[in-house]
Amino acid sequence: MFIKRLPRFEHHAVTSIPEALDLLARYAEKADVYAGGTDLLVAMKKREKIPEHLIDLKGIAEMRGIHLDDQKGIHIGSLTTLAELEGSIVVKEKFGALWDAVNVMASPQIRTLGTIGGNLCGAVPSADTAPPLIALGGSVKMVGPNGDRSVLVENFFKGPKESVLRKNELLKEVFIPNPAEFASGSYIKLMRRNAMDLALVGVAAYLRLDSNGKTCQEARIALGAVAPTPIRVPQAEEVLTDRTIDITRAGEAGRVASQVCRPITDIRSTSGYRCSMVEVLTKRAVLEAYGRILRMR
Amino acid sequence: MKHAEITLKVNGIRYTVDVKPQRTLVEVLRETLGLTGTKKSCNEGECGACTVLMDGKPVASCLVLAIDAQGKEILTIEGLSKGENLHPIQEAFLKHGGIQCGFCTPGMVMSAKAFLDEHPKPTQIEVRKAISGNLCRCTGYQQIVDSIMAGSEMMKRES
Amino acid sequence: MEEYSVVGKSVERTDGRVKVTGKARYAGDLVAPGMLHGKILRSPLAHAKILSIDTSRAKALPGVMAVITGKDFPGIPFGTRPDTRDQLPMPITKVHHFGEGVAAVAAIDEDTAEEALDLIRVDYEGLPAVLTAADALKPDAPLVNEFIKSNIAYSSDFLFGDVERGFKEADHIREETFSSQRVTVGFIEPHACLAEVDPTGRILLQGSKQSPYITWRHMCRALDIPLSKMRIVNPFVGGAFSGKHDPFDVDFAAARLAQITGRPVKIVLNYDEVLAAYRQRNAMDARLRIGVKRNGAITALKAECILEGGPISGIGPFNIYYFGAFMNIPYKIPAIEYHGKLVYSNRAPCGTVRGQEIVLAQFALDSLLHMVAEDIGMDQVEIRDINAVTDKWRTANGMMVDVSGLRECIKRSAERIGWKESRRGRPEGRGIGFSCASHPSGPRLGGHFGSSVMLKLVEDGKVIITHGGTEIGQGANTVFCQMAAEVLGLPFEDIIQGVSDSDTTIFDSGMFGDRCTYWDGNATIAAANDLKRQLAVIAAKELGANPEDLEFKNGRIFIKGTPEKGIAFLLAVRRAYYERGEPLYGKGYWAATDIDLVDWKTGKGNLAHGLDFIATGIEVEVDKETGKVTLIKGVHGDDAGQPINPAMLEGQVNGGSAHMTGHALLEESLYDENGLALNYTWRDYKQPTSMDVPEYTVEHVHTHDPYGPFGAKGAGEASSCSTLAAIANGVYDAVGVRIKDLPITSEKILKALAEKERR
Repeated sequence: MFIKRLPRFEHHAVTSIPEALDLLARYAEKADVYAGGTDLLVAMKKREKIPEHLIDLKGIAEMRGIHLDDQKGIHIGSLTTLAELEGSIVVKEKFGALWDAVNVMASPQIRTLGTIGGNLCGAVPSADTAPPLIALGGSVKMVGPNGDRSVLVENFFKGPKESVLRKNELLKEVFIPNPAEFASGSYIKLMRRNAMDLALVGVAAYLRLDSNGKTCQEARIALGAVAPTPIRVPQAEEVLTDRTIDITRAGEAGRVASQVCRPITDIRSTSGYRCSMVEVLTKRAVLEAYGRILRMR
Repeated sequence: MKHAEITLKVNGIRYTVDVKPQRTLVEVLRETLGLTGTKKSCNEGECGACTVLMDGKPVASCLVLAIDAQGKEILTIEGLSKGENLHPIQEAFLKHGGIQCGFCTPGMVMSAKAFLDEHPKPTQIEVRKAISGNLCRCTGYQQIVDSIMAGSEMMKRES
Repeated sequence: MEEYSVVGKSVERTDGRVKVTGKARYAGDLVAPGMLHGKILRSPLAHAKILSIDTSRAKALPGVMAVITGKDFPGIPFGTRPDTRDQLPMPITKVHHFGEGVAAVAAIDEDTAEEALDLIRVDYEGLPAVLTAADALKPDAPLVNEFIKSNIAYSSDFLFGDVERGFKEADHIREETFSSQRVTVGFIEPHACLAEVDPTGRILLQGSKQSPYITWRHMCRALDIPLSKMRIVNPFVGGAFSGKHDPFDVDFAAARLAQITGRPVKIVLNYDEVLAAYRQRNAMDARLRIGVKRNGAITALKAECILEGGPISGIGPFNIYYFGAFMNIPYKIPAIEYHGKLVYSNRAPCGTVRGQEIVLAQFALDSLLHMVAEDIGMDQVEIRDINAVTDKWRTANGMMVDVSGLRECIKRSAERIGWKESRRGRPEGRGIGFSCASHPSGPRLGGHFGSSVMLKLVEDGKVIITHGGTEIGQGANTVFCQMAAEVLGLPFEDIIQGVSDSDTTIFDSGMFGDRCTYWDGNATIAAANDLKRQLAVIAAKELGANPEDLEFKNGRIFIKGTPEKGIAFLLAVRRAYYERGEPLYGKGYWAATDIDLVDWKTGKGNLAHGLDFIATGIEVEVDKETGKVTLIKGVHGDDAGQPINPAMLEGQVNGGSAHMTGHALLEESLYDENGLALNYTWRDYKQPTSMDVPEYTVEHVHTHDPYGPFGAKGAGEASSCSTLAAIANGVYDAVGVRIKDLPITSEKILKALAEKERR
């Protein structure tokens, strides 16, 4: 019922992926990995999770760092903290939707500790990094005893707090392909108050315009906190593809998106309000992405 | 492994302590090292009262395992001043009414320090964002923002 | 305006340095040799019989030194009034709300104490829960409090003036209902207490208590010990706002466990426990009916309110009384009829919160005033100006408003926020809301309601001051040092704040009702004058003058008009100590015996001095698509008489307004249909952050209160009283929707906008 001091556990600090995988194999259900610990430690204090073994991943060098490959895209180690992303100029300038998300996540004190890997693996429907990554076509690389595999972020989530990551796998890195020319994205998060808050609704939009900057050739729209997982909304994207972007079009995409989402009513908000806000935020996210492209030219 | 012997560097001093793995940094600071300046309230990272600096960055010390604080430079509120010589941010809080009950103050000052060290010429909005993870119920934040703005001026003059 | 040397200056707080360096000790920081750690087991049910509690397994756990339940106390109930003694230290026969403490453990460390809680087995038999006022008032409603045979804990029915005539004379009448939600108090420091008992049975209590006197009286009664058997030494308190007056199970359990184990016991709560089970503000339902003349002057007011207050009455009777009695300010209302009820329920126990019930009454009244102003086509500032009480106004219930700067406050606020310009034109979705408010500087609740101060002269010429108030952040310590320094002509730094210890201090009745600066301030002046008189006798001898002809200034005592004919203050001190062997003390007290004792039955009387006034203007922006409200700017014109410390005064005004911003827009303590708390975590209970409140500006309106210390009035709570209506009125001004049930959420705004669209 109430928060307690942490329960007993054995602590293992690893410095390589094989070390971590080995421990995961050995302790299986009795072990949990962590990096920032901002979700896990709270869950443990509430006795929602009581792992006997904690595996600290922070020492794994190959899961750190932000590397931009000019040809392909950006590799973000899963141990990259939200603060590091916030402070990354390349993320802000080239992958703005992701930057928008970290800019409004949690608090400075949590951003120093929390990682992008943790945010994705926690797999809560309102995870803020998810909609931007989906909209930007991001993927995650997972490593396990049988090797690597990659999955698009839009296919990473299975249900609330459930992902395709197996218990004996690690999330190694996030990859986002370089944005095309005349393309940009944005993420808008609706919160009850203006800081340190979960998303009531989160919408990410990515647009790629033609070389004249008029017609939208590709649109990707992703929603957070309004379904059991973060979701992509192709129906709304269709409204924009091969069309010029304006307020009416953006509004129409919003309307379609609001009909697709399936939010719940909980102590934070009602499903009705959330649906209405999907409509408003989708419109605004699309227009913001559009505005960014125009300003780039 | 029941206990771990760890070394923590806090405010420039190395402490070797015997801790259970489940001890958080705020618990070790307050209970083992007697540094009670860092406060504990919600214990789940939602109030900022336990804010300390690790390698210059603000962290919620209630969510940091003491074990994980090894090898870091930990700075708590006690480490900001030397005897009667206060850090310019502390002087600014005194001059501009930034303190009432004082319970949020250590966390608030540490967040301010981390921020001003990186952003010496802030705007009011930036200051508000920097302390958005520190709850205060007494002051309404206005005089805390004024104090931090003034603190940045004082820091500039000192350097 | 008089020029003072120390009073009126924004001197540094006396406790600033210890707080800003992290050296200030709060109850949770204290340690004692052999100290045990306590934890409390809490009820998972809102209303249930306690059939049995088996503590044997917990007691057997190595490291556990004692386990107690409600049965380990004498069973004597306590309460604010003799007829409302409805509270036990810990429950015996049944639990009354989710999270109520049913057992407590003392162990050698916290982990063991936590483990022990899991080993205690409680057998409950669920009872139907009463959650709202409506539930409580149903004829077949289950009784909440086992000591009281009704769910109505208290009621007040007042009639001031001729209300019937007042409504007959009105040109326009309007009636509206308003409601306000459960909110938590929200100080940042959770409850904590360290208790020790010495071999003579004397308890030393060091807890986070706002009003040690109240704690002391209640605890000694419920523990069945004489007052002299308890000593309270107050550490720094991390915010209180009326959420820390009463003793809680934390304090009782620490004391009882200390008695049983013979060792010091410290209990420190985690904040989620505070959110679940400790003081909240009453939920309110009110119906107000107002009559105004064509020129906007109010002719009559009828108000009914029901406060839903949790399972104990606590300070509730006072809340109900306050709501009605203080509707007489800040506006001139010739006739008021008031009916108020306090009802019990199975939600968290209520006290009051910053601003007391005036916060809720003013929300209703000033919202209604805005509505009638619009009805009769009158400007919002003008209608408030016309009705504002003025100097020497006697209210309908007999209060004398000695000095009112309210009209000036209104003028300055309106100017500063750009009211006139905004009427000519403003951006879409923007508006300005006004509200006024007034708060008395401490009513006179009962016989012992005085304040006293002791000044001890140290032989090096410094003065140590101990006063009965409690420093909870409001700056009590500092202002009294300022006042003592001013009277004695000493530098501010020469007055040293002493310890808050019941053995050497006479605690005053408590830190609430804005009484501290006023009552303890006057006591400080009396004590300083007492000391001054004694020193004057000594100095007069030295100077060959009459003691009455001496002045104390700049650390000297000299003959008025001829400063060179004087001696150093220190010399007089030395004469006393070294030549006469006479240590000097200044004693002073102030009890406002010239005002009337609260008349609980009629609400009449000259209830308080030092009515402070505020006029608040808040600029608001409403996003019509999301319903989100952003506060752009807050301006407060504040008449606190002579500000003793302007910077600290501004802090009080800003803080109250920010606090109520949470109440207005963000906060609500939620319960499910069984009375289980839903959002008892700061993750889901949203208090304002730095990004949720606007920039505040305070316009000081200087007046001189004839009874206040140096002409000062209390100032801690006025802005709390004016902010709710200012925000509600601002939202209306911005987008034309009136929300009368707090909190004003985005959902409610959008719903109201949609309805408005349809019409």
